[in-house]
Amino acid sequence: MERNIQPIGVINACALLVAGVISAILARYAGAATGMVGVVFLALGFLVAAVSYFQMRLEERERLEKLEFDELKKSRSASALFTEDAETFTARRSREQFERFFLPIFTALLFLTQAGAAWWLSKTLPKAEPPKLNAATMALALYALFALILFLLGKYSSSLARLEGQRLLRPGAGYLMLGAFMSGLAATSEAATLCDFPKVDLYVAYGLGVVLAFTAVETLVGLVLEIYRPRVKGQAARLLYESRLIGLLGQPRGLITTAAQALDYQFGFKVSDTWIFKFLKEAVLLIILLQLGALFFSTTFVIIDPNEQGLLEHFGRQGGGRATLEPGFHFKWPWPIDKVYRHQTRQIRSFTVGEQPDSDAANERTVLWTKPHFKRGEGESSESPGMLVASRSQTTQTNKNEKPVPANILTVSIPFQYQITNLVDWAYQHSDPDQLLQKLANREVIRYLVNVDMDSIMSDNRLAAAEEIRRRVQERANEAKLGVNIVFAGLQDIHPPLGNKQTQVAASFEQVFSAKQQKQTNILHWQAYAARTIPAAQAKATNIISEAYNTALSKVTLAEGQSARFTNQMAAYQASPSVYTSRTYLETLAQSLAPANKYVLMATNTQDVLNLNLEENIRGDLLNRIVAPPEMNKAATNR
Amino acid sequence: MKQNKITLVTSGVLLLIFLCMLFTFQVRQTEVAVVTTFGRYSRSVTEAGFQWRLPWPVQKVYWFDNRLQTFESKIDQLTTGDQISLVISVYLGWRVTNPKLFLESFNGDITKAEQTLEPIARNAKSVLGSYRFGDLVSTNQAELKFDQIEKEMFEAVQAQTKSNYGLTIESLGIKQLNLPDSITTIVFERMKKERETLVSIYQSEGDREGKNIKAKADAAANAIIARANADAETIIGEAEQKAAQFYAQFEKNPELAKFLLDLKAVKQSLKEHASLILGPQTPPFNLLNVATNNSSSSTR
Repeated sequence: MERNIQPIGVINACALLVAGVISAILARYAGAATGMVGVVFLALGFLVAAVSYFQMRLEERERLEKLEFDELKKSRSASALFTEDAETFTARRSREQFERFFLPIFTALLFLTQAGAAWWLSKTLPKAEPPKLNAATMALALYALFALILFLLGKYSSSLARLEGQRLLRPGAGYLMLGAFMSGLAATSEAATLCDFPKVDLYVAYGLGVVLAFTAVETLVGLVLEIYRPRVKGQAARLLYESRLIGLLGQPRGLITTAAQALDYQFGFKVSDTWIFKFLKEAVLLIILLQLGALFFSTTFVIIDPNEQGLLEHFGRQGGGRATLEPGFHFKWPWPIDKVYRHQTRQIRSFTVGEQPDSDAANERTVLWTKPHFKRGEGESSESPGMLVASRSQTTQTNKNEKPVPANILTVSIPFQYQITNLVDWAYQHSDPDQLLQKLANREVIRYLVNVDMDSIMSDNRLAAAEEIRRRVQERANEAKLGVNIVFAGLQDIHPPLGNKQTQVAASFEQVFSAKQQKQTNILHWQAYAARTIPAAQAKATNIISEAYNTALSKVTLAEGQSARFTNQMAAYQASPSVYTSRTYLETLAQSLAPANKYVLMATNTQDVLNLNLEENIRGDLLNRIVAPPEMNKAATNR
Repeated sequence: MKQNKITLVTSGVLLLIFLCMLFTFQVRQTEVAVVTTFGRYSRSVTEAGFQWRLPWPVQKVYWFDNRLQTFESKIDQLTTGDQISLVISVYLGWRVTNPKLFLESFNGDITKAEQTLEPIARNAKSVLGSYRFGDLVSTNQAELKFDQIEKEMFEAVQAQTKSNYGLTIESLGIKQLNLPDSITTIVFERMKKERETLVSIYQSEGDREGKNIKAKADAAANAIIARANADAETIIGEAEQKAAQFYAQFEKNPELAKFLLDLKAVKQSLKEHASLILGPQTPPFNLLNVATNNSSSSTR
């Protein structure tokens, strides 16, 4: 009790300050996120330790003052010279003032600092870059050193605080222990970085940030509770700025003991005395070591999955005859002597040269030239410039004065598929083989298109062109030692550009196709006409001929008949010429005159002008059919 | 006691690892390294493998990737010899070949190296100025100088970077070759016009061929009909000739033949709607003449 704890307080505060400053520099240098969060805790620890040191001094002064007063009182007990005035105990008064005013304000400030730091971390951590590899070794060493120093100091202070009831040492000790664990964690995450797990650092930093936020909440709650706490005289006030959470975290052993006590209480017998608990307590270190050993042992073999190949490196050198590991089980030297890098070689990989297919439009089942179907970045025009394609019709133009751009533009999207065939070349020759291959392919496509006629590539030459491009890319890839096999290059999506609003290029191409069709239609139409016309003419000709034959036949036959009849008539005529003529004449007249209207003019010697109405009786037919009475008939005949 | 042993072994192992970390380093197959002593260059490691070193801060190790890096230049606009604007970008394949020089020139920073490569690549692109557009884009294999242009650019870049940068350019290729927007529009316009010309060509071709076919068909049909008509005339002529042979019979009695023909003509002409005004002399109406004289009745 009587031990002067002030020097320890000073040492604690100084240790926290020094560790804080150095790890701040280190964290910045090595880009360690965990280190950065550790610095926050160390800085808070320094503040707390400094305040508690100040409080120690005040308490010490008060104690001395009390001793002095007691001695005075003893020597001058009778005298009433010294009364227990308030002014007499200046040290006690200042301590009381300190506890009443300064501590709550400091605690509030502490809360603000904690909360502010937590907020700042939440802002900066997501932007943190992975730790730098070249500083990791040094950072690891220094953090480990801090961990050791802080741990020793913290252990000493916390033991002292526990054994001798030095409550003022407790907060500082807590922060020291915490600082030690933080540094340990920082060292671990640096080690993880060295083993190619740079993410660990960030995750640990996030975890610690959360702890910091909890601490801030705890401080706030403590502060609020302090206001409503019943003030009991003589009871030593709890140190407001001391965090129970940090105390717990700083002493994980205490955590176990507390847990054991809780178990004891729950089950009614001393669980902590059972053999298994004791064994676990003894063996915990051994178990951890065994775990680590198993972990280390697991690095002496590697299992390569069926779609993978592995690259074995012995001290970074390519592993002799076992450069590539095929799928299966393989022994190797443990880490870090042998390392295996896995690559998925059997997988078919693909990329697209030119326009990138739009994933949103992938569900659409029809792909039309006149409809945009490629991915557009923000701010990009509706159609990115396509690729230049030579044009036969234009290059033949030799007009020197007028300079048309002798090229066409096509929208091109060519998917390529490839497989890695030589992993050593693929992984060891190029930092980014995938990108290089894409650029090579891009170059070959451009090279091919500038030397090909647009119309031919868009029609019959398509398949041959795809094969040619595939071959050229393969050739180039071989030259560049990419170790790949180009499996496929597809020229399906190569078509005239959409154009812009005024110039609908793709649409005009479609018009050409329709014009072609129209032409064909036209030809077919007239071919059909021809097919119809000639047979019709032939039929008509046949008709004419057969008609002519008919006419001829009837003419000849008629003549024959007439001549035969004449022969007979001649015989009759020769028998009696006058009778025959009169008979045939009258016969004919009677026959012929029967239907005709007849007017017989009897008076031949008159000179009268005869006025005859020879107009045809319109209703003659009708009148003829009326059976007229005999008088009427006679009158008609007489008229 | 046992606990102590474990602690001792563990701390021994940890110490060993710690020392290894401080005094050794590895260079991977894909790397080259430079070791500096108190900031001064002391050696380069180009062979992969296990290496000794003095701990920090005495010696410092810098690792560089020695694989082929690809760098793509910015896209910029250039004009060809015949004043046609082009938008072009190239890619470079480069590799750290002299780690010491590379460390000195770029502080070992690949990004910095690529920033330095940018203007060099840009400069190389100006090779285009001495070529015509037709050298870049042409269906004529003999006229095309695409590969030659690329090669010249490559040589320009190589010459520039040969000695002072610690890196070697191993390849160069044209990554993008386009026309600027304004020209693109003109090309679009021209492509459209070309297509429209094609459309009219097809249309007129269709018309022409159609008409051809029609004319041919019509001619053929007419020929067939004409032929048939001619044949018909011949046939009828022949028939008339045959008929005439029969009509020769009439020559035997021309008087009768004429009479019969007259009769036939009369018969033909009186077939329909004829009105006849006949004199009383016309037989057989002369009979009427006798009758009227007898009955002395008058008729108008």
